[in-house]
Amino acid sequence: MRHPARWATLAVGVVVACLAVLLASQVNTNPTADEQNHLVGKQIPSFTARTFNGQTVSAASLEGKAVLVNFWNSWCIPCQEELPALKAFEQEHAGDPTVELVGVLRDDTTQAARPYAAAEGMTWDLVNDASGNLSLDFGTRGQPETYAISPAGVVVGTEFGPASTHDLDTLLAAARTRS
Amino acid sequence: MSHRRLLAWGGAALLIVGALVWAAWPSGGPQTAADRAHELATEIRCPDCEALSVADSSSSSAQAIRADLARRTKEGESDAEIRSVYVARYGVSILLKPQSSGLGIVVWGLPVLAFALGAAGLALALARWRRQPRLHATDADEELVDGVRSG
Repeated sequence: MRHPARWATLAVGVVVACLAVLLASQVNTNPTADEQNHLVGKQIPSFTARTFNGQTVSAASLEGKAVLVNFWNSWCIPCQEELPALKAFEQEHAGDPTVELVGVLRDDTTQAARPYAAAEGMTWDLVNDASGNLSLDFGTRGQPETYAISPAGVVVGTEFGPASTHDLDTLLAAARTRS
Repeated sequence: MSHRRLLAWGGAALLIVGALVWAAWPSGGPQTAADRAHELATEIRCPDCEALSVADSSSSSAQAIRADLARRTKEGESDAEIRSVYVARYGVSILLKPQSSGLGIVVWGLPVLAFALGAAGLALALARWRRQPRLHATDADEELVDGVRSG
């Protein structure tokens, strides 16, 4: 090798250039963007919870229905933005025994959420996940998040962030097509 | 290479290897389940937060994960098993410490590569300086300098 120093400099330059290309390709990429919720295609976690009205809701009691499980709380602004769509959805399917909307209170207290829900006219089943275990089992990253569950109890779709009326209809259609 | 120089290089190499071994050596005795749960909590990102570990966050999900880690370590699940549960649930971004596979290799390998390249460059430069001949003034050079000095 006639000029080892030049070769060494060239090697360092090539390595630095390769690293620059590699890192540049990662800029503006959200590492969580491509990560689908782990539950999609799987059975919903087994759970039993008591609603604000004192009724019991469980994974077993939801079997046979197309279900939307919505994680929310009273202080989150996106949840408040989503509320009109949820109310419209509930109103449209209120008389349908094959459709169920369940709200799971996340990172909040029943004391704060109950008067809020009453004032806002949230008539669907609301349960408090005080232990955080249900949120953990669903793998939620925040709120609002909505999960579509087929009558067989399989999670068939998710919506992260405030869902529109169209999003809720799409989730329901997915839940109905997968028996 | 002279005996003294060889001794100096050997000493330096021994110091570096010793420091690396000392840094890599596991500290303390066997960990309790609670210690392991706490250590894992520092490695797992709070799902609600941007870059905060479960150990540092007070959110309800962080509290639930801390309780889950305590339960799993108590039941005897290994650290790797617990990490894989969370990776399966949230994806690799749930781990604050980069993995030793995929792009994570770059993070771990880059300092080693930089050190190796730096050491190689230094060795090359030293070798080069040593190869350069020492110049001796000839009689003509001495005469020239003397001439200039005497004006």
